[in-house]
Amino acid sequence: MAELMPELMPELNLNFTVQHDDFSLSIDEKISLTGITGIFGHSGSGKSTLLKVIAGLEKQANGKLSLNNDELLNSEAKLFVAAQDRNIGLVFQNSRLFPHLSVEENLRYGQKRNKNSVLKFSEIVELTQLDKLLDKAVTQLSGGEQQRVALARAILAEPRLLLLDEPLSALDDKNKIVLLALLTKVKQTLNLPMLYVSHSLNEIQQLADKLLVLSAGKVSHHGDIHHVIHQLTTNHDILHQTSLSLTVKEHLPEYGLTSLALGEQQIFIACDHEPNTEKQVRCIIAAGDISITLHEPIESSIVNHLHGVITVLGKIGSTDGRNAQMLITVNCSGQNFFVTITTWSTKRLSLTVGQRIFIQFKANAVRSLR
Amino acid sequence: MNNTHPDILALITTLKMAGLTTIILMLIGTPLAWYLAKMQSRAKVFIEALVALPLVLPPTVLGFYLLLVFSPQYLPGQLWQQATGQQLAFSFSAIVIGSVLYSLPFVVQPLQKAFEQLGDDLLEAAAMLGASAFDRFFTIVLPITKASFITAASLGFAHTVGEFGVVLMIGGNIPGETRVLSIALFDHVEAFDYAQAHIISISLVISSLVLLSLIYLLNRPAQNNQTKSKRVN
Repeated sequence: MAELMPELMPELNLNFTVQHDDFSLSIDEKISLTGITGIFGHSGSGKSTLLKVIAGLEKQANGKLSLNNDELLNSEAKLFVAAQDRNIGLVFQNSRLFPHLSVEENLRYGQKRNKNSVLKFSEIVELTQLDKLLDKAVTQLSGGEQQRVALARAILAEPRLLLLDEPLSALDDKNKIVLLALLTKVKQTLNLPMLYVSHSLNEIQQLADKLLVLSAGKVSHHGDIHHVIHQLTTNHDILHQTSLSLTVKEHLPEYGLTSLALGEQQIFIACDHEPNTEKQVRCIIAAGDISITLHEPIESSIVNHLHGVITVLGKIGSTDGRNAQMLITVNCSGQNFFVTITTWSTKRLSLTVGQRIFIQFKANAVRSLR
Repeated sequence: MNNTHPDILALITTLKMAGLTTIILMLIGTPLAWYLAKMQSRAKVFIEALVALPLVLPPTVLGFYLLLVFSPQYLPGQLWQQATGQQLAFSFSAIVIGSVLYSLPFVVQPLQKAFEQLGDDLLEAAAMLGASAFDRFFTIVLPITKASFITAASLGFAHTVGEFGVVLMIGGNIPGETRVLSIALFDHVEAFDYAQAHIISISLVISSLVLLSLIYLLNRPAQNNQTKSKRVN
């Protein structure tokens, strides 16, 4: 099916190198463009450069780049499609609004230049909640508002692909949450593939369906978001954590809790508002926040306890054995959970692979950015 | 023409020269300033120094070399004569060319500074919204750096009106052709006609003061806006 109708499978084909004095990026990767692909890496890993190459703002790239079979770069054939002719959008870290134009004029700047514009201006303004700001000068806006305008402006230009380069990094936590919710809404409402670059795995985990990890200018992982986060966890590349997408089962407003379904079991998360539109909730549990008991802790204040089976016992920490911790993978209703406990506890409880145990964690240990 | 007062004729010649010079300066100064603002090669320093040279050289030095180059003994003067049938030295065209070179830094420097301050951020953003280079210049660069364009044009114009040495060297003193106000003033002083010299001098002082005040007036709020937007961005 996909081969018969390649236009139905939007795809980005990357095969290039970028060589700067102190830095090189070498990518040979296919990214299928559905939903949001997160691009994660530490500073200097090349993630911003990667976006610039795709956008057409990096002229030093050598190799090939195509979007849906449309060639944008081919160094051998001396082909370089200019940024303005790629029909790719980019939301920058700093909003880069045009200071001499009003909010509305900023929003219309890209839309006016797209001859095939079909999106309704008023709908996007409503979606991004900018209706009250249209007449304002952009210099009067707060940081969060500016970034919302930048996002709406990029959407209204109707790009084939929207790139987001650390769009939340200049915002405070409150505005981060607002914009994340907005991006989730955009993802659900519009059929617009996005590449989301960030050094914050939390942000990416909330939004992305797939994750591409860059390390020292090369792709180290690429795949399903939860799968890659768990790979990074077992490789000890990131803070050990369990990443989940779970369906909302029930909201208990009198207790400020929401329960999520995990097979026949359930997880409670602290949630003071009804998760209205979203049926799925993304959450992260740090491995250090989960503990293991051999018997079901029914007389405990800790609300979450799940039964599961130990599948992996791995040692972390210094090789001389001192201060060593264990990273334990526990399978609960088909979902892997990652738990770090001391080697001492592992010994005391005589934990072994295949053993049936219980894991427990507080509702507050489940982090969800909403 | 003969009935016109010689000083009025000099004023008309001056305005014609300064007006034409300003137009030419804006046309060549803008791309040159853009190039200097964006270029990173080592040659940049040399070109910048070359553009700034008229600021430090006595105008007579520039005038002297232009006089040589414009004369029919040298290739540029020769080519000009072949093309137009007229000698270049001591012509209206000569003083316009001389003025363009002489006033170039007054146009290039404020524009270059404005383009450097503007940076690439907004231009990249505009490109990502589908705006071509031409489009970006007229919808982003020009409106944001408008005040600098006004400054550049006004300074170029005012400085050309005020020049003396270059015109004297390459233009001489031909009424209706190369006799400009500063030369007319010099003539009056040489002839001890101080009353007439006063009229020209005080008019130049007042009109220059008015023009410069206008530039500063126009620049003040615009610059405040620019720093404001910088801060928020």
